[in-house]
Amino acid sequence: MSSRLEADHLYKVFGRRPTEAVERLRTGADREELRADGTTAAVIDASFTVEPGQIFVVMGLSGSGKSTLLRMLNGLLEPTAGHVRFDGQDLTALSDRDLRAVRARKISMVFQHFALFPHRSVLENAAYGLAVQGVPRAEREKRAAEALELCGLGGWEESWPDELSGGMQQRVGLARALATDADLLLMDESFSALDPLIRRDMQDQLLQLQQTLKKTIVFITHDLNEAMRLGDRIAVMRDGRIVQTGSAEDILLRPENDYVASFIQDVDRTRVLTASALMDTGATADAPRCACETAAPDTTFAELCALSARLSHPVRVVDGGGRVVGAVDRRSLVGFLGDEAADPSPCDRPEEKVTAHA
Amino acid sequence: MPRLPLGDWADSGVQWLVTHMGWLFDAVKAVVEGMYDGVNAVLTAPEPLLLAGILAVLAWWLRGLVAGVLAFGGFVLVDSLDLWERAMSTLALVLVATLIALVLSVPLGIWAARSRTVSAALRPVLDLLQTMPSMVLLIPAILFFGLGTAAGVIATLIFALAPGVRMTELGIRQVDAELVEAAEAFGTTRRDTLLRVQLPLALPTIMAGINQVIMLSLSMVVIAGMVGTGGLGGAVNEAIGQLDIGFGFEAGVGIVVLAIYLDRITGALGAQISPLGRRASAKARAASGVTVWSHRPRPVVAVAGVAVLALVAGGLGVFGPSSGTAEASATDIGRGKEIKLGYIPWDEGIASTFLWKELLERRGFEVSTTQYAAGPLYTGLATGQIDFQTDSWLPTTHAEYWKKYGKQLDDLGSWYSPTSLELTVPAYMKDVNSLADLKGKSSAFKGKIVGIEPSAGMMGLLKDKVLGAYGLKGSYDVVDGSTPAMLAELKRAYAKKEPIVVTLWSPHWAYSDYKLKKLKDPKGAWGKGDSVHTLSRKGFASDNPEVGAWLKDFSMTEKQLTGLESQISKAGKGKEQDAVRAWLDRNPGLADKWAPVAGQGDEDQAAG
Repeated sequence: MSSRLEADHLYKVFGRRPTEAVERLRTGADREELRADGTTAAVIDASFTVEPGQIFVVMGLSGSGKSTLLRMLNGLLEPTAGHVRFDGQDLTALSDRDLRAVRARKISMVFQHFALFPHRSVLENAAYGLAVQGVPRAEREKRAAEALELCGLGGWEESWPDELSGGMQQRVGLARALATDADLLLMDESFSALDPLIRRDMQDQLLQLQQTLKKTIVFITHDLNEAMRLGDRIAVMRDGRIVQTGSAEDILLRPENDYVASFIQDVDRTRVLTASALMDTGATADAPRCACETAAPDTTFAELCALSARLSHPVRVVDGGGRVVGAVDRRSLVGFLGDEAADPSPCDRPEEKVTAHA
Repeated sequence: MPRLPLGDWADSGVQWLVTHMGWLFDAVKAVVEGMYDGVNAVLTAPEPLLLAGILAVLAWWLRGLVAGVLAFGGFVLVDSLDLWERAMSTLALVLVATLIALVLSVPLGIWAARSRTVSAALRPVLDLLQTMPSMVLLIPAILFFGLGTAAGVIATLIFALAPGVRMTELGIRQVDAELVEAAEAFGTTRRDTLLRVQLPLALPTIMAGINQVIMLSLSMVVIAGMVGTGGLGGAVNEAIGQLDIGFGFEAGVGIVVLAIYLDRITGALGAQISPLGRRASAKARAASGVTVWSHRPRPVVAVAGVAVLALVAGGLGVFGPSSGTAEASATDIGRGKEIKLGYIPWDEGIASTFLWKELLERRGFEVSTTQYAAGPLYTGLATGQIDFQTDSWLPTTHAEYWKKYGKQLDDLGSWYSPTSLELTVPAYMKDVNSLADLKGKSSAFKGKIVGIEPSAGMMGLLKDKVLGAYGLKGSYDVVDGSTPAMLAELKRAYAKKEPIVVTLWSPHWAYSDYKLKKLKDPKGAWGKGDSVHTLSRKGFASDNPEVGAWLKDFSMTEKQLTGLESQISKAGKGKEQDAVRAWLDRNPGLADKWAPVAGQGDEDQAAG
C-alpha cells in the first residue's frame, strides 16, 4: 500500500434515481442524455491515486465537476458510486461520526473565498479545527499561533478577518488547515480569488512550505499555469470525466486529445519544460566532454536558454550520479519555443549573409 | 355550488376541543397566568420611579446616556398619567407573550431552515396565523382559556409568532454556505455548526425578528384588551368604547413609550449579544471617539447600578406594600372576597355596574369591573370568568345570547322595565313621525340609519324584522358602528340641523340632552319592551347568598336611573365611581335599601 489517497471509479449524480443514472453512464450514456431527464452527472468514473507528499492538481473549467470531486474526497459529498480510500481506509464505508473524526484530524480544506468565520479573530479562526477536536485552549492557541507564524502572519493574531487583505485572509485559511496537522490538504481553487501578483506569492509560499511539510495535497484550479507550477501530477477534467492524468510535461508534450491540446496552447512553456523533456538522449555519446557548465534533468527551459547562450556547444544534461543523460542543442530550444519540431530546410543561397538594413 | 359548511366544522371543532382537551388548556392557562403573575409582581413591586430608574440604567448601558435620560423621562410621563400599573401589566403581558413566542418560534425557524419540507409545511400555517383577523381568534381563545390574561397572551402570541419563525429561518439560510461547509470540512457536528457558526451569524436577523415579535405583541395587546387583559390595551379599549379621546390618547402615549423603549432596547441588545454587532459598535465608537453622550457604562457598572437601585428600594421597604389587616365591622360582609363585574359600555350598564361596584365595596367586597363587547361578555359569564353583569335586555334584544348561553347562566331578575327600542330622529325633522314616514325619504338621510355595535340585539332586530315590516329594505343601509360613534354622529348632525336617523333606546340620557322624537311603530315590529335583567354565572347566588338576595331585590325607577346616568356623564371618564358616590350622597338611604345589612342602621356613611 503506497498511495495515500485513491479514488476508485467515483460517480456523483444529482437528481432523481441517481443509481439508475450511474448504470446508464456505465453502459455508455453521455452527460447530455441524462441532463434531458433532469439529472446532472457531475463526476463520471473518476479514478486516480495520490502518493504521499505529492501535489495532485485537478484542472478543469467551471462546471467540469472538479469541486464535486474534491468534496467526495473528504466525504462532504457522498459518492453515488465508487470508493475513496485514504491510507487504505474506505471513507465511503464510514459512519457519519467516524467520517467527522477523519475530517477533524486527517483532512483539512482551504476554500476559494477563504470561508473565514467573521465572528472570530484571526487566532480563533486558525484554531478552529483544533477547537472542534477538543484541544484545550492554551494548546490550541499555541499551535494556531505557530501555524500563523508559518504562513507569515505572526503578530496578526488579534486582528479580525475583515481587517486583512485577500491574500492575508487566505493565509489564515491555510494556517487553519495546517494547524490541525492533517496529512491531506484539499485546496479548492484556493488562489483563484486573489489578484495575479498575490497569487504568485501564495503559490511560491505553498511550494516553499511543501518542501518542509511534505503534505499530501489535492489542489483544484481552472488555471493551467497554476496547475503546471504546482502540480507533481495533473488530472484534466472535462464534463465530469478525467480526460488525462500525468505530469506537467506529459500534458504539455503528449496531450491525449484535442481538448487538452487546445487547453495548453496558452501555457508559458518556458516555465514548465525541463531539460529532461527537451534533451536528445541519443546524442549522449557525442556530447562534448569539457569543463563547461552543465544542466540537470529538472533545469527549466528558461535556464537552459541562458546556459546555451553562454556555451558554444550543446548543453550537457548530467544526472545526480554525474552521468551524462542527454544533450540539448540551441536549435531544439528555438524549435520548442516556436513550436516547430521539423528539421530546418536548407537555404537556397547558403553563402549569403543576412543583413539588417535599418 | 353546494354550500360548504366550513363554519360548522370550525364550530364543532372548537366545541370538541373545549370538551375533550380542557385539561390541556387548563394546564396552558395555569402556566401562562403563572408566568404573567410572576413578571407582573416583579414589575409592580418597586416604586414606579425606582423601576423607571432601573429601566433607564439598562437603556444607558445599551444605548448611551441620552437614551437613558429619555427612557427615564418616558416612564415618568407614564407614571404621571396614572397609567403605571396598566403599563406594567401590558409590559408583563408583552414580555410573557414574547418569551413564549421565542421559545416556540426559534426552534421552529431552525427546523424550517434545515428542512425544506418543514419550511413548506410551515409557510401556509404562518400565513394563516398572521393574516387571520385577530378578533376571529379571540373568541375561541376565550372559550379555551376564559377571559383574561391567558386568552390575551395566547392570542397575542399566535399573532406574533410568524415573524419570529420567518426571521430565524431567513437568518440561518442567509449564512454563507461556504462557512457552513468549512465548519463541516473540519469535522464539526451539525449541532455545533448550528451553535458555533449558524446561530451567531444569524443573530442580527433573529434579533430583528424578536424586535418584530415584540412590536406585533404590543399592537395586539390593544385588541387583547377586548378580552379583559386590562393594562394599556384595556384602557384604549375602554376609551374608544366610550369615545373618550383624551383618555385614549393618554393610554396610546403609554403604549408608544413602551413600544419605543422595547424597540430600541431589543435593537441594541441584538448588537450587544451578536459578536459581529459588538465589533461593529466598538469600531463606530473608536471612530467617533468617546463623548459623554455616547458613553456607556461597562456591564459591571450597569449591573452594579441596577443592584444599588434595587437595594435602596429594598431598604426603603417599597417591595410589596404590606397588606393592612382587614377591618372587621358589621358592614364588612364580603371580607375581601373578590367579585368580577363585566359590562358593555352602554349608559345604563355603566351606571348600574358602578353603582354595584360602590355598594359592594361598601360591604367589604373586592370588586373589579371590566368592559367588554357583548359577545365576549356572555362568553365570559357562561364560562364563569365573570360573576355577574347588570345589563341584559330580555326577552327580545338579547334573545340570541340567551338562547346560546342561557343554560349556563342564572337570571337574577329584572331591575328596570319597561324599556323600548326605537329609531329616533331629531325633533326638527318635522314630517317624520313614524317608521312608515321614512319610506321614500332615503335620499334626505343619504340612505343611512346610524346603528350601534353589530353585536347588539337591536341591530339584528332592525335588520331582520323592522326594515322589512315597513318596506325600508334596500332603500336604507344600517351602518354598524358603536354606541359612542352613533351618539357622536347624532351630536354632530344635531348641531348642524342635518337630517339623521339613529337607533336608540329608552331609557337614555340623550332624550334629556337633545330634543328627539321616537318614531312610532304602529305595526309593533320592535316587539314589546324588554326588561333589564341582571345575569350571573351559574351558582353565583348560592356562593354569595347576600349579594344574590340584594341583586334579586334590586330595582331602579326611570328618574333614579337617568339621574345617575347624567351624573356619570357629567363627571366624565374615569370618575364613574366618584359620580356614583356623589349621587348616593344626594340620595341617602338608597344604599341601605339596595344592600341591606341585617340589624344595621345607617352606618355606611362612615364606610364610604
